[in-house]
Amino acid sequence: MFRICLLTLLALIVTGSHVAAKTTIEWWQFWTDPSVKPTIRAIVDDFEKANPDIEVKLTDLTWANGHEKIVIALASGTGPDVLELGSDWIAQFAATGHLRDLSEHLSPDSNESQGYGMATYEGRLYAKPWILGTRVMFANRDLLTRAGYNPEFAPATLDQFKQAAFKITALDKEIYGWGSNAAEKHRLYKKYLPFFWSQGAQIFTDDKRYCVLSSDKAIKALQLYKELHDSCGYVANQRGIEDAFLDGKIGFLISGDWLLKRIELEQRNINLVSTLFPGLKFPGRSFQGGEFLAVNAASDQAEAAMKLIDFVTSPEAQVRFCKANRSANPSSKQAQQDDYFQTNLHLQTFIKQMSMVRHPPVDPDWVYIENAIEEAVEEALFGSGLPAEALRQARQKIAELKQK
Amino acid sequence: MRLSRSNSLILSLPWLVTFILFWLFPLLYSLIMGFSDYRLLATDFDWIGWDNYRELAADDNFLSALKNTFVFVLGTIPVTTVIALALALFVSRGFKGRGLFRAGFFLPSVTSMVVIALIFTNLYQRGGYIALLARFAGLSPPEHGFLFDRATALYSIMAMDVWMSVGYYMLIFLAGLKAIPDELYEAAELNGAGWWRRFWSITLPLLRPVALFIIVINSIKSFQVFVEIFVMTKGKFDTATAVYFIYEQGLQTQFRFGYASAAAYLLFVIIAMFSIVQFVLLRRRRALW
Repeated sequence: MFRICLLTLLALIVTGSHVAAKTTIEWWQFWTDPSVKPTIRAIVDDFEKANPDIEVKLTDLTWANGHEKIVIALASGTGPDVLELGSDWIAQFAATGHLRDLSEHLSPDSNESQGYGMATYEGRLYAKPWILGTRVMFANRDLLTRAGYNPEFAPATLDQFKQAAFKITALDKEIYGWGSNAAEKHRLYKKYLPFFWSQGAQIFTDDKRYCVLSSDKAIKALQLYKELHDSCGYVANQRGIEDAFLDGKIGFLISGDWLLKRIELEQRNINLVSTLFPGLKFPGRSFQGGEFLAVNAASDQAEAAMKLIDFVTSPEAQVRFCKANRSANPSSKQAQQDDYFQTNLHLQTFIKQMSMVRHPPVDPDWVYIENAIEEAVEEALFGSGLPAEALRQARQKIAELKQK
Repeated sequence: MRLSRSNSLILSLPWLVTFILFWLFPLLYSLIMGFSDYRLLATDFDWIGWDNYRELAADDNFLSALKNTFVFVLGTIPVTTVIALALALFVSRGFKGRGLFRAGFFLPSVTSMVVIALIFTNLYQRGGYIALLARFAGLSPPEHGFLFDRATALYSIMAMDVWMSVGYYMLIFLAGLKAIPDELYEAAELNGAGWWRRFWSITLPLLRPVALFIIVINSIKSFQVFVEIFVMTKGKFDTATAVYFIYEQGLQTQFRFGYASAAAYLLFVIIAMFSIVQFVLLRRRRALW
């Protein structure tokens, strides 16, 4: 009896010491979709198998309030070890010292990975690119054909695009050339900026000292956007526009890879064209954003956190994730070579577009700047303001902010 | 059995601790923060006196949010009160199936605001049922939907709010009506008073305390309107209200807790003043009656 008790005690001590030796790290992530979450869990399980001394606690966030939760957690000195961050938030958290400087750990190589520019604040790297995102132009081939275009046509320039949108609008009272976003927060500016960048406009001068949001090029871009909105626009929120597009009511829209996922899951029958965003000359410049992984500056498990980040952002894990989520833009160039991307023409459009993109300035005040731009676009489209005046007011707001 | 003072204190301690920790302390702390430039993620902050309040007075977005809030309050309160009273008078009469009507009118009040806001977002969209009804009535609804037009967005949210609130206030009016003695109506009837005279001279004056309660409570609630705006428009199309502005400043754009706190206290002062004015006006009118 004594022996049994002794053995049990020993076993408990051994197991206990084993458990105690495990490092637990927490990862806050946004992928709660039932079609994706199991893949995230499986990737984490594989990581734990490969690193038996590390345990990962996975916490889900939603896009509705995830940003607030992260801000409050970081401000209170708590928060997880690993954070999934949208590209727009990195500068905000880096500037206030809440993210660990990963410059020593990461060696950005544009031949290996895309997106490092969005994670670099004042010359230092604060996050690792994971899954990126851009917008391409989608068109309804049937409507283009009805409007008199040959089956190979895709607009290369903004003029061609405008002309085609007008021709499609003229087809029928219930047909619209262009899907124009309503004043949706965090979305409208992403639709205007491709026009803005494709005209060659900039938000700040190259030395980042002056805001040039109301330059002639920017005004021209907003005038074109407004013309499309007023004359050919089916105005709704993003979901509403996509519904109308899939119902064959809209000729062109700008959208992301989620539209491909939707078409596949809902088995929608649409004669789809995906093309690079048109410009003054082909191609134009689209919007770049994405998901990044960062380490909380307050984390005392930085080494284990980096191991997890390296594992999750490995080319193999990225391909697994992209297949589950039907994502088109892994940051890893090696992952982009996978057959999954190479054999799908629409995914290829996204990968090509990713090399012709701009991203918003890496600025701690970006959320405010974004808001000012959105207000200007909203005023031009839905208010009584002229594009030039709306942009001038936005520039003034941003300039005042920068002077403070 | 009488409780000793110490026992009373012990028994009320759980509530007292919660009140101090989660109500009183944040209230006082945010009052103090209103005089600082504190931002949520910043490591330090300065005392800036009344600067936040001065900035608010010149902030176009805040002034626009205040204007929208007043439009909301002044637009919804009279309509809600009148409809609630009319419904209370209607369901107080003895007719078959009035329980069903009472339950039907009250049902929106016990349904989640988010759920209702989502349903109305769909109803208000282009091609939605409300646009169809408007067309049926010979009106021309906004081309892109009621919520995507500056001329209609705020009023559409107000209409939904009235629809949602009337049932609750109807119930309070109903309780007030039940408390009016039948003898008064009988005496008036014997003296030849018609329905309108009885309503004007008996029902309305005796319902005044209830009406005051409803107007004050509904005003405070309407001044704090947020969920509807957050779910339906995110403050776009000229629908941002004062609380939405506070939320944006504190938790969305720049995490300016100091500035947001100042705006919150300014709103508090406005609500307090509005309530006092309501009390004074309604009490004075009661004295006249």
